[in-house]
Amino acid sequence: MATLLQPEKVLYLVRGEKKIRVPLSQLYFCRYCSELRSLECVSHEVDSHFCPSCLENMPSAEAKLKKNRCANCFDCPCCMHTLSTRATNIPAPLPDDPTKTTMKKAYYLACGFCRWTSRDVGMADKSVASGGWQEPENPHTQRINKLIEYYQQLAQREKLERDRKKLARRRPFMPQAFSQHTIHVVEKYGLGTRLQRQRSGAPISALYGLSLKEGEDQKEITIEPAQALDEVEPLPEDYYTRPVNLPEVTTLRQRLLQPDFQPAGASQLHPRHKHLLMKRSLRCRKCEHNLSKPEFNPTSIKFKIQLVAVSYIPEVRIMSIPNLRHMKESQVLLTLTNPVENITHVSLYTCEEEDPDDINSTAKVLVPSKELVLAGKDAAAEYDELAEPQGFQDDPDVVTFRKSNKIGFFIKVIPQREEGDVTVAFKLRHDFRNLAAPIRNTEEVEATSEAIWLTHHVELSLGPLAT
Amino acid sequence: MFIIGMLVPNSSNVKIAMGAVVCVESDIRGDVTIGARTVVHPKARIIAEAGPIVIGDGNLIEEQALIINSYPENMLPDAEDVEPKTMNIGINNVFEVGCVSQALKIGDNNVIESKAEVGRNVILTSGCIVGACCAVNTCEVIPENTVIYGSECLRRVQTERPQPQTLQLDFLMKILPNYHHLKKTVKASSTPARS
Repeated sequence: MATLLQPEKVLYLVRGEKKIRVPLSQLYFCRYCSELRSLECVSHEVDSHFCPSCLENMPSAEAKLKKNRCANCFDCPCCMHTLSTRATNIPAPLPDDPTKTTMKKAYYLACGFCRWTSRDVGMADKSVASGGWQEPENPHTQRINKLIEYYQQLAQREKLERDRKKLARRRPFMPQAFSQHTIHVVEKYGLGTRLQRQRSGAPISALYGLSLKEGEDQKEITIEPAQALDEVEPLPEDYYTRPVNLPEVTTLRQRLLQPDFQPAGASQLHPRHKHLLMKRSLRCRKCEHNLSKPEFNPTSIKFKIQLVAVSYIPEVRIMSIPNLRHMKESQVLLTLTNPVENITHVSLYTCEEEDPDDINSTAKVLVPSKELVLAGKDAAAEYDELAEPQGFQDDPDVVTFRKSNKIGFFIKVIPQREEGDVTVAFKLRHDFRNLAAPIRNTEEVEATSEAIWLTHHVELSLGPLAT
Repeated sequence: MFIIGMLVPNSSNVKIAMGAVVCVESDIRGDVTIGARTVVHPKARIIAEAGPIVIGDGNLIEEQALIINSYPENMLPDAEDVEPKTMNIGINNVFEVGCVSQALKIGDNNVIESKAEVGRNVILTSGCIVGACCAVNTCEVIPENTVIYGSECLRRVQTERPQPQTLQLDFLMKILPNYHHLKKTVKASSTPARS
């Protein structure tokens, strides 16, 4: 039974730039555009950074400075688990009296999963619980930084030239927006993330002047080209004959997680600072409203704005599938759940013959022709044992049961193919009351929200034919 | 009546050394010898079906751990060439909650973590750690100081062996008698046993 509750069996079609078929639990609903949105047709924005183990918040500028790594937490280089600090007591000579020894606390890092310790790579125990650990220096850091500066300057110069050309061609009253092309150039070397958010309507002439001035003031940075060496260090003589010490060889994953050093030996695997995670907010690309905005606090999992599809669109779930046989009609039991608090009317339609959305179905389906009425979701209903029976007249051939905001109903499926999985598709049409509409100052306070009818394309995968 | 697979155990012959703390709720069957300073938690099971089990000193056997010396699966109990093999367990080992150990020879300072399974043909030397939920069913000798971890049972060698759990053992030997009845210890020498 648990397999039937899996939401991947019921897919809703999202008509965005790409046609995507995704379970309803992974979709968002923009109630201003009244359309379903998936993760691919929204724009993702970074809200905040935080460390997953110490849950420390970090502003974006600081995160960028620390290369998106936490200052206090480390990852095990062997199994990528979080390292914990352990203390031992070691005898150490007292500073005043070298002959006497006293127990002093020494701290080392240890992994609880693979039992790696910082002593394995030769890192000495520290006397401070946190903050004493240092990452090894990359010998090429200076050269890399110089190269990065040079290329950033180059990118900025290119961008200015491009904009100068545009400025010459365009008329003065047209917005001198940074074109899509320049935004890519800016992104190339990570110059400024603020520039991406500019829309074509925003006045940016002030900013434009600023960058010009900056460009002229910066001094020229030159770099020397890399030197090619003629001589390469020869391989040691026993390179082919020496037996491999397997525990000492690092795996590719361990090696590539430290791209600066890529150590081949396990005794050079140093721990790295833990990578930060981020909270993101989603925004509809058409109407620019926020669809999902999490809370700023890393310990909180709630959302300030949460426009998920399951709280607006009735959800279809498969309840039971009988044995499906080729060209024989069988009845599949589905449930429809109403997420909103008012009564919803749902009608189902079969897909037309040449429906461009209907590409996956391998069976014919007959849906109930009458309109199904779903009661509103009543949060207090589960505590009310003496619930009055709802006064809905249900056709017993179609509707099997009705429980608060859920009904079960039959659809008839005729598999058309002899082999393979059975997939059916139909259209779900329901009324949606848009509570986001602005409150009008009319006398009718309750009837301000008008119902609009939304149609969704739903696909069900009913599994293989019965043998 | 002949019962296959479930032998009537040869008279429960459990020798518990002085200083060991073995709770009454633990299930010990067969010819088992338990060393000094070993703690056996309630609901631990030590079953010596196909031969005796000798457990050394300072071991920690936690709840629902199963140490079993059983017949290999494809052999009937009454086959002629079956000779009882002794299972030897060394000192300072830790058998965490829910583990299953059938290894015939376990050395010292090993740790078998929760829900790990060690097969009959594995020989653990010293300082080995079999990680949680890792099943080791190969036919080999695990080298010293090996750590087996992860869902794919990856291995690595650690530089130091796990420390003996002396603090934990001392604590348990003080606290467990307050809450559980203990099995009587039997002294192997001639002096009478103290209850």
